[in-house]
Amino acid sequence: MTTTSAETVLRPARATTAAVSTTARRGQGFQHGGWFVAPFLVLFALFVIWPLLRGLWLSFTDANISGDAAHFVGLDNYREALDDPLVWDALGHSAWFTLLVVPCITVLAFLLALLAHHIERGKWLWRLCFFLPFLLPSTVAANLWQWLFNPGTGLVDHLFGIDTAWLTDKSYAMLAVVVCTLWWTAGFSFLLYLAALQGIPAHLYEAARLDGANAWHRTAHLTLPMLRNITGLVVALQILASLQVFDQAVVMQDFGPGPEGSTRTFVQYTLEQGFTSYRVGYASAISIIFFVIIAAVALARMWLLRNREEGGR
Amino acid sequence: MGQGMGRPGLDRRQLLAGLGGLTVAGSFGFAALGTGADALASGADTRVRYWNLFSGGDGYNMIAMLDSFRKDHPGIDVKDSTLQWGSPFYTKLAMAAAGNRAPDLGVMHLGRVTGFSPGRLLDPWDVDLLAKYGVHERDFSPELWKRAVIDGRLYALPLDIHVQLCFYRRDVLKKAGLLGPDGRMVPVTSADEWFDVLKEAKKATRKGLQTIGLWVNDQNFQWWFFVAFYTQLGGTWFDAGHTEVTFDTDKATQVLEFLRRHLTEGYANPGFAGGAGAEQFVNGGPFVWEGNWSVPVFDSAKVDYGATPLPPVFGKRATHAESHSFVLPHQADRGGPANEGAHRLAAYVVTHARQWAAGGHLPAHTPTLSTAAYRELEPQSEYVSAMDHQATEPKVWFAGSTGILAQRVGPIVVSATLGSAKPDAAARRMRSTLTQLLAAKNPMDGKTAAEGGAAA
Amino acid sequence: MTTAAAPRKEPRRPWTPSQIVLTLLGTAVSLVFLSPLAWALFTSLKSETEAVEVPPHWLPKEWTGQAWSAMLESGNLTNWFVNSLVVSVCVTTVVVLVASLAGYGFARTEFRGRGPLMGLVMAGLMVSPAVLGVPLFTTVQQMGMVDTYWGMILPQCAPAAMVYILYKFFQGVPRELEEAAFIDGAGRWRVFFTIILPLSRPSLAAVGIFTFISSWNNFLWPYMVTNNPDLMTMPNGIATVMNSYGIQWAQLMAGGLMAGLPLIVVFVFFQRQIVAGVAHTGLAGQ
Repeated sequence: MTTTSAETVLRPARATTAAVSTTARRGQGFQHGGWFVAPFLVLFALFVIWPLLRGLWLSFTDANISGDAAHFVGLDNYREALDDPLVWDALGHSAWFTLLVVPCITVLAFLLALLAHHIERGKWLWRLCFFLPFLLPSTVAANLWQWLFNPGTGLVDHLFGIDTAWLTDKSYAMLAVVVCTLWWTAGFSFLLYLAALQGIPAHLYEAARLDGANAWHRTAHLTLPMLRNITGLVVALQILASLQVFDQAVVMQDFGPGPEGSTRTFVQYTLEQGFTSYRVGYASAISIIFFVIIAAVALARMWLLRNREEGGR
Repeated sequence: MGQGMGRPGLDRRQLLAGLGGLTVAGSFGFAALGTGADALASGADTRVRYWNLFSGGDGYNMIAMLDSFRKDHPGIDVKDSTLQWGSPFYTKLAMAAAGNRAPDLGVMHLGRVTGFSPGRLLDPWDVDLLAKYGVHERDFSPELWKRAVIDGRLYALPLDIHVQLCFYRRDVLKKAGLLGPDGRMVPVTSADEWFDVLKEAKKATRKGLQTIGLWVNDQNFQWWFFVAFYTQLGGTWFDAGHTEVTFDTDKATQVLEFLRRHLTEGYANPGFAGGAGAEQFVNGGPFVWEGNWSVPVFDSAKVDYGATPLPPVFGKRATHAESHSFVLPHQADRGGPANEGAHRLAAYVVTHARQWAAGGHLPAHTPTLSTAAYRELEPQSEYVSAMDHQATEPKVWFAGSTGILAQRVGPIVVSATLGSAKPDAAARRMRSTLTQLLAAKNPMDGKTAAEGGAAA
Repeated sequence: MTTAAAPRKEPRRPWTPSQIVLTLLGTAVSLVFLSPLAWALFTSLKSETEAVEVPPHWLPKEWTGQAWSAMLESGNLTNWFVNSLVVSVCVTTVVVLVASLAGYGFARTEFRGRGPLMGLVMAGLMVSPAVLGVPLFTTVQQMGMVDTYWGMILPQCAPAAMVYILYKFFQGVPRELEEAAFIDGAGRWRVFFTIILPLSRPSLAAVGIFTFISSWNNFLWPYMVTNNPDLMTMPNGIATVMNSYGIQWAQLMAGGLMAGLPLIVVFVFFQRQIVAGVAHTGLAGQ
């Protein structure tokens, strides 16, 4: 990207003027610094921090959707949530979805990138084909696959000569959502891999070639290790995104919970409680539980990254 | 990469920048105005915003009725919006009312009114204003009217009664010898007779088609069918004070076994469980259980068919019934011309329900029901008797079409029908769920069904 | 990504067997990826009855544009298109402006509480409408912004991730550039607007492109906060209103393609910029 080129061009200047820097920065920066971040912080406080605190407060109340005054109920909501089998079901469905999607999408995106990277002609065409689905709104992608999986008239069953009730059988409904997700979002991770592949210096491959390594060896012993970081990133982003799955699952099931509730995800259950059953307090409590889970995953990743960096030193 | 766009001439770049600037300015201007593009274009004096959940044939009929209303009342601009049917619609309506952005007029299933917090999310009708536009209590069945009144005030104006029906294809049944001399399906009075009918029909059915479509995996339909047959058995839900569950698990087991049998004996194919059931029927399947709203669908598909209420396999006749009704979603400043327009529009549609009946519904406005024009409608005349044998959900805050009751109990019925739960175990789970629900507090007022029962 | 552009100038290599195999494989995979879209297109050109014929067939026996014209005539789509545009443009403008200011502020200026505030912003990475939708809705409800453009726009305008990306970028900009200007007597703001911003155009473009795509395709938040169909954006309208036509698959496919088309067209014209933008924003999480 040109950002790197700008940096490399300008870098040599650094050493010469470094001495002036601190004084100038201090003198000018102190007055204005706060104003630079203020607009963002206002929005951030209103629409991220405040809802978080508000959610925490609401989770201890019996608030409903009408916005009327709520009563403090202590830990009742949390107690109920831990006892609510549907909370665990929904959590299980989101986790199961994540477990299916993350490995598949990582491998698929990597293979697609490898393919697109090694074909010499028409690079733009492959990029276009593999990335295109990602440009569709989630709801459109979901409608499309709902139609592809439609019993009787669906293309999938017809092409493979099978008779699978993709959308109506509880053992397949989530798989259908997974297939849709793979098709729709693989392009994003594909681009990340492609960028990383293109960032591997060509002279490393030349050296390996001269050492007599064949294509397979070059991929296994050079490409894969070079892509470790990007794989970590792809996996982390996919885990966080997949745990929060909502759009595809609800649209493919016409906003219902799927056959025998088998595609009801955690986000969906939260919204059902809040907006369909009007139990804002209870919905807030399960949202907070969900937030803790997401935060734990994110923190675990940061911890892993730091450990690896330290290990690397 | 930004520079990589090639180097357009300065003029083109300026033009692009200008266009971009205009788009940004325009967008912010639009956002500041705060109205949709559509509202901006409308110039009428009175604008009535009306939300409904009518799709397919119903949607078509509703639009035709709105068009004729518009022609008769040029001063009123009706802005109608159709939303996805089912709980998403109620979610949207509740959220709009809670956010004080509610439309002037809405549609709601009558069974949902009790749970929709009348007074909080709904405003009462002005009965005098309705009378002025030609709608009177005396023109409705007292039973129906009573369901719409809460705390002595009218919160819903009933439009129709809609029932679950057994649709059959005349061509297939004739081949199977199941058609009477009057061209109607032979009457059925017991479960065994019903399965005999299915057996014969199956023999006459083309290969690759299921014998009957009954939405085996749909929690709403399965629940409605359950309510119908459970009522045929004389089953009850709660005592009068809503303090005790009177649900009879033996009767429930009987119903669940009956529903399950359609799958075990191979008449219903779970692969064609949902809307595909109707597609199968159009393609030549002999039976489908559907709401009466499928009448225009099958009419337009030119299917040779008839429709009866769900077969009285347990003796007593009963089929699940609900009603569409008009409601006034809560607005803090309700009143004025838009409110009057909403009253006028609702009254117009209710009293001109002949068109609505083409959608298969039984008009709630009784004068329409007795017109000769209505009596001539087919197959409506074949099932009009269903309105005298209605099986409805109990009148509690958690009931009503796609309400909490259906959401909690419906999946249990489905699990029994699909065979992932034993009928008797499922019946016990239904009972315990009903017990839980009865003890649960309505989140809108913090009262249980018993505490709110007197009010309702 | 600079390497992406480079190979174009290389002379064409001959077709080797491995290239032939790879190209064939690429073609096959591309066909698989494009076939759902092709199927949607063909479905949308059938009549409603032909669309649900069993067994299904690829090409319409009778080509008809009825689904497309029905969708256009209903008028909803044009409304939704305008709404999507208004929301995405506003969100993108605000995000690029606010996030670049904040990224620069955190990277290059000193003020009291900078460290803790940056930590707070990092914590904000874990909050999204999917995680805290219900409390966010009640907040917006309190502000009286349910069913308004602002209610849709503003909550999308505080993405901690974009601040973080630009923060990392500004950290890499050599200080010498600024300092020369400081010595000439320029103030912070002038330096930011005349030196830093022009320099960071590619990064801003990346953030802008990514924000625009996510906002254009965003479903969950607009779904929660808009109930009035007149105010819905394209993805939301398609899912909550158009689906109500039930079994009219030809129309649903036509509507879906219409919703997807604008971004696809834009993509074909600005492919390299978009690819770079998405990759850049994604990779910044490393």
